[in-house]
Amino acid sequence: MKSVIEVRNFSLKKGTFRLNNVSFEVNAKEIFAILGKTGAGKTLLLESIAGYYPGTDGNIYLNGKAVLDIPLTARKIGFVYQDYGLFPHMTVGQNISYGLNMQKRKKSEISEVVEHMAEKLSIAHILKQYPGTLSGGEKQRTALARALVLNPDVLLLDEPFSALDPMTKQAMYGEILKIHREFDCAILFVTHDFNEAQTLADRIGVMQRGCLKEVRRSDKLFEIYHDNEINEFFGLMKGDN
Amino acid sequence: MKKRELFNSFDIISIVIAASIVVFISFALLSIIFGGIPYLKTAFYSKEVRFSIWLSIYTACISTCLCLLIAIPCAYALTRTAMPFKKIVQVIIELPLSLPNLVLGLCLLIVFSSDFGKSLKDIGFKVIFDRNGIILAQLIVNLPFSIRLVRTAMSAVDPRLEFIAGTLGASRWKRFRTILLPLCRSSILMMLVLVWSRALGEFGATLMLVGVTRMKTETLPASIYLNISTGDNGMAMASAIILLIISALSLTVTTIIGGSRNQYTRMKDVPQS
Repeated sequence: MKSVIEVRNFSLKKGTFRLNNVSFEVNAKEIFAILGKTGAGKTLLLESIAGYYPGTDGNIYLNGKAVLDIPLTARKIGFVYQDYGLFPHMTVGQNISYGLNMQKRKKSEISEVVEHMAEKLSIAHILKQYPGTLSGGEKQRTALARALVLNPDVLLLDEPFSALDPMTKQAMYGEILKIHREFDCAILFVTHDFNEAQTLADRIGVMQRGCLKEVRRSDKLFEIYHDNEINEFFGLMKGDN
Repeated sequence: MKKRELFNSFDIISIVIAASIVVFISFALLSIIFGGIPYLKTAFYSKEVRFSIWLSIYTACISTCLCLLIAIPCAYALTRTAMPFKKIVQVIIELPLSLPNLVLGLCLLIVFSSDFGKSLKDIGFKVIFDRNGIILAQLIVNLPFSIRLVRTAMSAVDPRLEFIAGTLGASRWKRFRTILLPLCRSSILMMLVLVWSRALGEFGATLMLVGVTRMKTETLPASIYLNISTGDNGMAMASAIILLIISALSLTVTTIIGGSRNQYTRMKDVPQS
């Protein structure tokens, strides 16, 4: 299967923290989770995949091309941060239409696409509101709508559900799976919640202290690992299965 | 039901300190206002005072525009680019902030009395004892201040927002124009008013570079100085009131413009427990 993201022996040093020799692939239309404790380097890896940081070693490829060789405006990635990163001086509608405006699409076309996307994500009633007045769930839907409106090849989500209450979280799991079906894009998300990773992802990469220790299919997530540290993280003891 | 306390002791101490400052500033200003009001009408009819008002506003407007045009790209370079020796550049740019205005004026005087200044004069750009000198004096005093204000404002904007805008197809220029600049808008407006007011009241560097000549290089602060020197305290206070009125008006305008941004948040002046 064709891979949309390919991380090859990637290393990065940021202050005292290091990402060490990380390698994995994300296939087209796949949902991939990077799972690890807080401080494992998940967000740093996600931002590196988006091309925010040049690595010290190795390379990252998007659709076969080194990410840093693709201009930021042409990477076809949708990035949703943990705090959603909405533009605070723009309304929800303006946030969603931002990318379409940059593509200089016709005004009538833009408003049609924005309305359609807002309907899909159930935020049509808040299009004229500013992000500062929204709830966590509404902010997340807006950030998703803003990223999806450009039909990205890859959707990168940084701890997308960590700030949501359990009810909204459950609703958003369904929303993400729906988005995945409808938009046909690969989704790479980072999380520290292994139930969340197992519920949503096809495959899961387990990260610890800047290293990607293992990549597994989600149905095998709770099977014993060779690394004791990972077993501890999952609360597994040798002889459990 | 327990009644919610409106103020705690820390709130009360803060309010008392703020109120004391208000009383002190009001007292200082009122002493000039009451002393100068009887002379205000005469001052407005005085050709000399009207000239100094015009000259001050004219030079302050030009120097403030120059500050704006220079400060924004400088602050951008310091906060958003991989400029080499950034820290050293920043220290050099902001060094004049810690220097007395008189020293800055002296530096300009030496530069423009040199051969370089003379050749500028030969091609028609006169600085010493000229109103160009007033603009230049205001510029050198205010530029580090404006760069610092804009730099602080730009540093406070999360660079990830511009990164997201980039992933949505915005070029560097578009990111600057649609994200960074609007998010710094109120700080830049505030900078403009502060710089304009400071330019209006600048005296030390101006005195050193262009001197104080009646009806030639006489700005409002120079007019106050000249009137005090000749013992005309009433006219000096009247000029001070005019300076005060202009500054108060500009500050009011900014406060009104700044207030129009409040709709971005649902947390306004709610006391936090």
